[in-house]
Amino acid sequence: MKFTIYQESRVGKRRNNQDRLAHCYSREALLMVVADGMGGHLHGEVAAQIAVQYLTEAFQREAKPRLADPFMFLAGGLQNAHQAVQDYALAKRLPEPESPRTTCVACIVQDSIAYWAHAGDSRLYALRDGRVLAKTRDHSTVQAMVDDGQLTAAEALHHPLRNRIYSCLGGLQNPQFDFSRKTTLARGDMIALMSDGVWGPLDDLRITTALHGRDVMQAVPGLLDEAERMGGPNCDNLSLVAMSWGENYGEDTLQSVETQSLPMDAHSTQMPEFDRRPTPLPELTDEDIENAIDEIRNAIRKNSQ
Amino acid sequence: MSPPQANQPLPPGYPLENYRIERQLSMGGFSIVYLAYDEEDTPVAIKEYLPNSLALRTAGDILPVISEEHRSTFRHGMKCFFEEGRALAHLNHPNVVRVLNFFRANETVYMVMQYERGRTLQEHINKHRGEIKESFIRNVFARLLNGLREVHTHKLLHLDIKPANIYLRIDGNPVLLDFGAARQALENEGPDLKPMYTPGYAAPEQYKAPDQLGPWTDIYAVGASMYACLGGTVPQPAIDRLEKDRFESATQKWAGKYSPQLLETIDWCLDLDYLERPLSVFALQKVLTEQQHAVHEATWIDNLSQRLRGLIGK
Repeated sequence: MKFTIYQESRVGKRRNNQDRLAHCYSREALLMVVADGMGGHLHGEVAAQIAVQYLTEAFQREAKPRLADPFMFLAGGLQNAHQAVQDYALAKRLPEPESPRTTCVACIVQDSIAYWAHAGDSRLYALRDGRVLAKTRDHSTVQAMVDDGQLTAAEALHHPLRNRIYSCLGGLQNPQFDFSRKTTLARGDMIALMSDGVWGPLDDLRITTALHGRDVMQAVPGLLDEAERMGGPNCDNLSLVAMSWGENYGEDTLQSVETQSLPMDAHSTQMPEFDRRPTPLPELTDEDIENAIDEIRNAIRKNSQ
Repeated sequence: MSPPQANQPLPPGYPLENYRIERQLSMGGFSIVYLAYDEEDTPVAIKEYLPNSLALRTAGDILPVISEEHRSTFRHGMKCFFEEGRALAHLNHPNVVRVLNFFRANETVYMVMQYERGRTLQEHINKHRGEIKESFIRNVFARLLNGLREVHTHKLLHLDIKPANIYLRIDGNPVLLDFGAARQALENEGPDLKPMYTPGYAAPEQYKAPDQLGPWTDIYAVGASMYACLGGTVPQPAIDRLEKDRFESATQKWAGKYSPQLLETIDWCLDLDYLERPLSVFALQKVLTEQQHAVHEATWIDNLSQRLRGLIGK
């Protein structure tokens, strides 16, 4: 297998990054996964971490170096990850409204064929020649309304319910998973998995344009920059892993992978460490406090005249 | 997360800036409210920022203990208190509590508000459970909504409307108290400053979709507060309704006792889907003040006069 791959996750304008992503490959199989956690406190983060970790560990156990059946792997892996998130909520005795939940999109490539599955609104795009070859359908209320013809795609972009999803890992409801067709990859095809922080502020055209014909090492940060800019002051967490099949932009590209060089039972995994510490709050200085108080006192004075 | 601890109020007689503390009026997770007197012996209500998950005042102490670990979050939480102060400072409306002063002391911040004589709607409900008249409900809420309109005009949300936060002055004019307006800003600010909900009054989006808050969120709470006036009971909490809706509609529960139009209006406010509720306070106010409320509790005289009219009509 020959491909180039690159992944990056950013916190955006949020205090915590509740997104998790990873990729992992053996000599003959590749796994990519993105999860976007939801739930109060740090639980969303934990849910996403559990899902990503569970899938990568299962991959390392089973892909030696091939998976017997990639779809079965995805079905079992996602269902078990869902239960692992539920178990965590039970162990912590978290009440239902606080229970950790996460979206998840995962993709396997083996024998030049891509297989993917998802729950929620983290997306996978398969791109060929700068066009969308295939893409996941969000499990969101808004997507369902678009499908019913109640909304246009343009209206959906700013709809107040655009973040409401009806399938995810964790929580009491059993998730709904959608599975792709077997998609045979050609040289130059690209597969990109991303959280809604990336696709939310952009349309498909911008996404494909940003990824087309570029080395993933440049394309990924470029697309994240654009999404972050468009995301504005409330920019959500952004996570993106993109893989370019059979391509090799220049011999020195660090992200270029030739899996034949891997020993039969070895794996290479890239998964960011679980960062327990939230990014520190900007310090409110004594001066900030005095200024705020002065401002309020002035307003009171003005208003009482 | 540290367990919530009980904070001690400032002692009676304590001199705070130019005020003298009389006693504690109420304590919430976020603050303590005192009755105090200023230099002219005018009573005022003073609210002290003291989130009990971050700061602890033990008996006999004045300065709260704020651990190094919580220092930054504690200060950050002040922002909400400032937001509340800012919000109120810009509002000048007879149905919204008035802020008189704002100052810093004892390593925290204080907001001085006009003290109103009277009692909360909650106290009124407790006292007159099951015998509150339709005209009272319509009058109180139509006037209260004037204040809420002013709040929404300033692009603020209250987010904690409930009978305990609605004050009835002695002349019966209601005042909206305790602005959690800025608390929504806290949503992403960390685990120890979770926004607070009052079960039964909080709308589903406050639990599930904080990005969907809007005037309709306050309207849900207004509906729940009117519902509480009918029989003294609070509607099933929205969070449980989302699981299994056992909400007894006002229309079913109080049919015959109040006009169908009022009951339908209350149920309308309490729709789980915010798109189905009255979209603005104005829309709700219009319905509450419609002349229709002349069709009140049918008495035997009404029945008789109707029958007479029927006879004359023939």
